[in-house]
Amino acid sequence: MFAFSPYISSFIDQIISSVPYFKPELTLIVTFIGTILASLFLDRYWKKTSFTMTLIGLLLSGCYLLGQGLSHIEITGFFDMIHIDDFAISARLIILVSTVLILLFIHQRHQHQERPLGDLYAVLLTATLGLNLLTMSSNWLMIFIAVETVSISSYIMVGYFSSSKVQSEAAMKYVLFGSVCAAVMLYGLSLLYGFTGNLNFDTQSHIAGLIEAPQIMVSLALLFLLTGIGFKLSFFPFHVWSPDVYQGAPTVITTYLATVPKIAVVVLLSKLLASWLTVSFYFSDFLAYVIMGIAIATMLIGNLAALRQQDAKRMMAYSSIGHTGILLMAVLVYQNNESNVLLFYLSIYALMNIAVFIFIDALEVHIGHTQIDSYRGLGKQFPLLFTAFSLVLIALVGLPPTAGFVGKLLVFSKVFEQYQTFQSFGLLALLIVGALTSVISLFYYFKIPLNAFLKDGSTQQSFRFDPLLLGLGLLCTAVVILLGLFPDLLLAAF
Amino acid sequence: MITLTHFLVVSACIFCIGLYTVLSKKNAIMILVGIELMINAAILNFVAFGKYDKISYGGQIFGLFAIVLAAAAVAVGLAIVLNVYRHYQTINPDEINELKDK
Repeated sequence: MFAFSPYISSFIDQIISSVPYFKPELTLIVTFIGTILASLFLDRYWKKTSFTMTLIGLLLSGCYLLGQGLSHIEITGFFDMIHIDDFAISARLIILVSTVLILLFIHQRHQHQERPLGDLYAVLLTATLGLNLLTMSSNWLMIFIAVETVSISSYIMVGYFSSSKVQSEAAMKYVLFGSVCAAVMLYGLSLLYGFTGNLNFDTQSHIAGLIEAPQIMVSLALLFLLTGIGFKLSFFPFHVWSPDVYQGAPTVITTYLATVPKIAVVVLLSKLLASWLTVSFYFSDFLAYVIMGIAIATMLIGNLAALRQQDAKRMMAYSSIGHTGILLMAVLVYQNNESNVLLFYLSIYALMNIAVFIFIDALEVHIGHTQIDSYRGLGKQFPLLFTAFSLVLIALVGLPPTAGFVGKLLVFSKVFEQYQTFQSFGLLALLIVGALTSVISLFYYFKIPLNAFLKDGSTQQSFRFDPLLLGLGLLCTAVVILLGLFPDLLLAAF
Repeated sequence: MITLTHFLVVSACIFCIGLYTVLSKKNAIMILVGIELMINAAILNFVAFGKYDKISYGGQIFGLFAIVLAAAAVAVGLAIVLNVYRHYQTINPDEINELKDK
């Protein structure tokens, strides 16, 4: 029997020495408990207590993160459970900024509703905690816990209001599909553990175990693993849930699902591929080709299916599937220490989507639904909103002078560089499909300005938009344009 | 003598039964039961492999965490299914189809 007791004190010493690096997450945990208590006891005296507490907690966590970022630390803690480097710190900062934007959006949109929002803020904090862990970890146990934390929080968020039939339906589809994918991923992880006898995916013994494992079994395990990751990223063929859930969920929650979880999972996938694709054996080649095929199929399916959508939220769901394909391209060519292209694209992607959903939501509040037809003639009535909306859509297509163009340009040129070194046919196919689908995307994105500006519709009674929300949307749009003109502002920061 | 292979075969069988349940049942709660079977198959795998990992006992620890997480996910799932029943008066996923491609 392995004698454990002599080691306890050294174990505890190591845990205590790791705690200071875990401050941003500890802040989130403390805020989570505080928010629950505030929503139970303090909200009845001042109903913004839980919101204020969540906001302060997120900002405080951001301060600790900035402190870590400025000192450029690179450490592992908690027995290799977490690994903090510049990539993880930048990714967590992007996650945090997007979460703060979405928190403001939720608060401004739903504060006058009867249903108290304190619990929703608490769940938002746990989801952020899970995403933070996901970007830092290279241990399968930690990754599984983080993925489940994010998933369970997202199920609750989608079902939180459940004020209508479609909202509860979206929540049910999400929870059933998500749990099946998590179970399949868990089985895949158990097989990986069996091959390697160790749970850290970036260690030598893990890679050696994968090299020696039988080919059929290792292919099966990797496909099972990709099921779980694919559900969170909603790439082909695990994208079927996303249009239904995006359309059915409240728009604020859709904004969250479409942006923040993808950032963390993309970071995880790029770390995984960066440590596995350095060797060229059966399992790594298999994984690279599978991801390549998935990326091509995802871009095609997402953009082609978006063409025939009549509902703005459903169209944005397919559009974000298409963008996942481009993110997968960026992940494939990611190498260690060159994370700025990936991070730039991720932050622009989050900003563009938040802006679009704020505009869709502002129109939904007044029209009552999200059909694109109903935007007819509204462009003359609300020139400011629809101009900003069109600018963000231009950014989503990837046309200059917006940051969407710079992001796509950086990704494509990175892929082209790799193609010139390796002359791989797969990379060329990726480039061609990526360029073609960008052209296709022009047609469905421009349905919105086409309806708003060029078609006449019955002028509706005038209504006023929430000025703070509109300001938030315009701010995101302005940043997207600004970063398109001066991309170095952000690229230098990573 | 029960070897590792026995465990793996049993767990593969449980996994397949779970997957079949998920794909064939017309009741959301039975689907949750199927998911539970799949997770338990994976846990059995972990514990069986964990026998050979004498230093860090990763498999056993993973099993414990997976049990807790599965319970949490099922609790949320049941609450959501209950909510669906209030709106639709049925929990057959085939009949709950207001959201679909037109």
